[in-house]
This record gives sequence, C-alpha cells and structure tokens, in this order.
Amino acid sequence: MGKRGMMVVMALLMVCLTSNLIQKGDAIWLSLPAKSGTKCVSEEIQNNVVVLSDYVVVSEDHSYIPTISVKVTSPYGNNLHHNENVTHGQFAFTTNEAGNYLACFWADGHNQGGGDVSVNLDWRTGIAAKDWESVARKEKIEGVELELRKLEGAVEAIHENLLYLKSREAEMRTVSEKTNARVAWFSILSLGVCITVSALQLWYLKRFFQKKKLI
Amino acid sequence: METWSVRCAFIVTMVLLSITRAAVGIRFVIDREECFSHNVQYEGDTLHVSFVVIKAEGLWHYGDDGVDLVIKGPAGEQIHDFRDKTSEKHEFVVHAKGLYRFCFTNKSPYHETIDFDVHVGHFAYYDQHAKDEHFTPLLEQIAKLEEALYNIQFEQHWLEAQTDRQAIVNDGMSQRAIHKAMIESVALIGASVLQVYLLQRLFERKLGTSRV
Repeated sequence: MGKRGMMVVMALLMVCLTSNLIQKGDAIWLSLPAKSGTKCVSEEIQNNVVVLSDYVVVSEDHSYIPTISVKVTSPYGNNLHHNENVTHGQFAFTTNEAGNYLACFWADGHNQGGGDVSVNLDWRTGIAAKDWESVARKEKIEGVELELRKLEGAVEAIHENLLYLKSREAEMRTVSEKTNARVAWFSILSLGVCITVSALQLWYLKRFFQKKKLI
Repeated sequence: METWSVRCAFIVTMVLLSITRAAVGIRFVIDREECFSHNVQYEGDTLHVSFVVIKAEGLWHYGDDGVDLVIKGPAGEQIHDFRDKTSEKHEFVVHAKGLYRFCFTNKSPYHETIDFDVHVGHFAYYDQHAKDEHFTPLLEQIAKLEEALYNIQFEQHWLEAQTDRQAIVNDGMSQRAIHKAMIESVALIGASVLQVYLLQRLFERKLGTSRV
C-alpha cells in the first residue's frame, strides 16, 4: 500500500470519526421560558439500563450564551446529577431502580434579556447509549461484522421490550378480571343493602304504627 | 491491492456515514402549550412522529379530550395538524432540511402527561447506488434491515405508551367500582333513615293534633 493510499485511508477514517460525532447532533430542542419556568422531561426506565445524555444551550447570538441549571432525579428521589449555571454538560448513569426518571431544566434568574432559552437535549437509553466504537476497538471487529453486531443488539433490545410488554399485558389482564369480579360482587352487595334497609324500614314503621294504635 | 484497500475503507466510511439513527422518546407534563424542535439533516428522509396522552390529572383522573399537535417545517409552513387526539402516529417525507417544530396545545383545564417520540429514518443508499455499481449488496441489505429494526423500536415505544395509558385507566376503573358500591350503600342507608325519620315526625304531628 503506497503512501498516497495510506493518506487516503487516514483522511477517510477522520471523516468517519467526525461523522459519528455529527450523528450525535440529532436531538430534541426544548425551549425554557426566561422567567420562572422549569421544564421537565421524564422517561420510564427499567432496572440496569445505561442512560447517556448531553445538553447544550443553543443561541443565535454568539456573543452571549445564557446559562441553565439541570437536576436529574431517580424514582425514589435520589439526586443523580446537579449542575448550576452551565451552558453545556453531560451525564451518564446506570439505573438501579425501575421507574420514572426525571430531568429538569430551568433558566437561571440572572440572564439578561427576556428571551426564551433553547436547550438541545440528546437523551439516549439502553441500546442507543451503547458505545460501539469501544466495542469495535476491544474486539477488533469492523465493517460488516460491526454492523451485524449492532443489529444483533437492536434485535435483543426489541425482544426484551416485547417481553416487558407481554408482562404488562398479563398484569393488566389480571386487574381487568379482578375489576370484573369486583363490579359483580359489589353490585350484589349494594342490592343486598337496599333490600335489607327497606325490610328494616317496613319492620320499624309497622312497630311504630302498632305502638301508636293506628294499625 | 492498493485500490482494494482504499475501496474497502471508502465502503466502510459510506456505511458508517449513511446509517443514521435519530430517535427520541420523552415524557413531559403539559400545562397550556409546549413546543419542541428537532433538526433534520437530510432531505428525503422519512420522519415518524407519535404521541400518547398517558394521563390527565383531572378530578377523577379521567380525560377523554386529547391535545392538539401542529407540525411546522423550517420555513414555518404547516405540515400537519392534529386536533383533540389522545394518541396518534404519523409519518411524512422531509422535503427541506432544517429545524422542525412540534407544538402541543392542551385545551382541558388539567395538566396532562404526554409521551412524545420522533424518529428520522435515513437511508443514503438510494443516491449512492446509482453512482457506484460495485457497491456491495450485502451492506445495502444490512442498512435496510437496520432501518426496519429502528422502525420496529419506534412502534414498540408507542405501544408501550399506549399500554401505560391503559394500565392507568384500568387501575382507575377498579378503584372506581369499589368507591361507587360503597357510596351507593351509604346513600341508600342514609335515604332510608331519612324516610323513617320524616314519616315518624309526620305521624307524630298528625296524631298530636288530632288526638288532642
């Protein structure tokens, strides 16, 4: 392989690496109101899932970039990440509890101007957060094999998700059947109460009228 | 030998450049209005969007009225408009690259939790294939497969959100069945006690005036 070939390969590899960095730019933009607002996003995450996220404040005016504060909490209230007065940052954690994870952003009070602050949030969980480059480096695979490995990971994630949906559906089915039984039994109970109460009424009024010598 | 390795590196690059996955699945609480933006980098991509209203924090935790969603393109043109939907899935082909805005409007007086997902499917092989006939069909098929799998993951996320909504409705229904029976029994007992008391008072008064 000549020198020119080497250079071409190196150039292509550089393009490759930078393009993977550009890929991470696909994310969702939130807009935080300037005064009071806290914007929170949440997601239901299972146990033992890798969560990777990074956020950047976006502003058209490059001379001044407003700062924001972030707080990420777990379902049981533990603080996972807390940052104040930053323009960008990232956090990563592996979940210990299954439940609702909350990430809250708010614009700091001492920002000049009254404009809304736009935050670019890239939130990845599970298979999307996997670092394929390090897997490729560790196991020395590339090209077709790496792509097939990625596909295998995606298919496993789909399968796990499907199993989770199946268990949720089974849970809902038991709740529905319990509700069905409950509606039946409690309606009979209501009817029973109605009949008992009217019988008691009759007996009491009869006794009352007999006492007052009307019957 | 040299051209083969250069070609190989080129192919690997194209593969890695062309399989772009962008998906986001978040839940948020909406008060009146909430807007999100998403950057689409390539024209001709298919943009899939879905949303499900998980729960409405109303009086009985029941909200059948949905939310409105307006999708606007980079130049501000309206792409689609959904009115009063509790759950919806939509896809369209992106004609202009840039920032797409998704604005939700909540018409009911209560807060609602919405699960929102956006997925952009990019498939670069359509233009690449025309240029290079020596392109490996294997990689092309792998890219198609990957695209299909990401679509499945998008659908699953929507299904999961729907399941969550149904779970909340089911639990609510179960609670409500018991509450209804209890309140009904208490009301019946109360009504009959009231009846007896009123009749007693009526006859005592009547007896009192007529006997004297």
